[in-house]
Amino acid sequence: MKNKQDFPNINERTPEGQKPDGSKYRVLIVDDSMFVTKQISQILTSEGFDVIGTASDGQEGLDMYKEQYPNVDLVTMDITMPKMDGVTALEKIIEFDKDASVIMISALGKQDLVKKSLLIGAKNYIVKPLDRAKVLERILMSIK
Amino acid sequence: MRVEYINPFVEAAFNILKEVVDSDIKRGELYLKSTSQPVLGVAAIVGLAGDVEGRVLFDMNEATALAIAGQMNGEELSAFDDLAKATITELANMITAQAVTKLHELGFTFDLTPPAIFTGENMEVTDAGVEALIVPIELSQGKMEINVAVRER
Repeated sequence: MKNKQDFPNINERTPEGQKPDGSKYRVLIVDDSMFVTKQISQILTSEGFDVIGTASDGQEGLDMYKEQYPNVDLVTMDITMPKMDGVTALEKIIEFDKDASVIMISALGKQDLVKKSLLIGAKNYIVKPLDRAKVLERILMSIK
Repeated sequence: MRVEYINPFVEAAFNILKEVVDSDIKRGELYLKSTSQPVLGVAAIVGLAGDVEGRVLFDMNEATALAIAGQMNGEELSAFDDLAKATITELANMITAQAVTKLHELGFTFDLTPPAIFTGENMEVTDAGVEALIVPIELSQGKMEINVAVRER
């Protein structure tokens, strides 16, 4: 009698967070909302990404990026944060590493800041509320 | 107070709650109050300053706030802790951002404060010299009131 191994699962797929070499994409989440951080983290870890750190303001995010460099594949960056906002942190990260992949997380109505971020060098942006499909689509567009 | 100020908040609340809480939502009758009003127990407040000034409250009792936060997090929350507060703050942020985008399109320009959360029993809110328009919203998680008190500068 045939068993399960004789019928390979044709639906099996590589998690989106996995690089062609089998290692995981490493992501740094910068957001002052514990809720948004948790939401992004859950979406990414469920797809096999490695969330290597979370920061709650731009300065902390910048410091973490420098500490972890060159082992960061992607940063998700909230726009409105205390101490240092996301656009300034993006600017400083790009100054430090012109190839950095940063994706901005924005509330509705911040089009001017989103445009500014894209001109500075952000790879993409996501407007809240976040949902799994939207987050994964924009992130994959930015890193693959 | 002109009713066109409150409609964007009500529409935005419907859109956002439908998307993030996936709840059966019904709107109650709008009413106007010029005296102090009780606050239900958990209130997210956002200040507006510019062509129009005032504040918006998203007001609910703690059980409703917990149920909404739990639904948004995909897990049951047993206490109104930092995560629950961050979740309700983010809900207020998203609703306000969408409403304000609409008001900006209508030609009003103003800035917003980040939401602050008040919690406690027997609280009330008083707005000097400005009436508050209140729209109750019924969700499967409980009742939320959108309470807007703004005036033109």
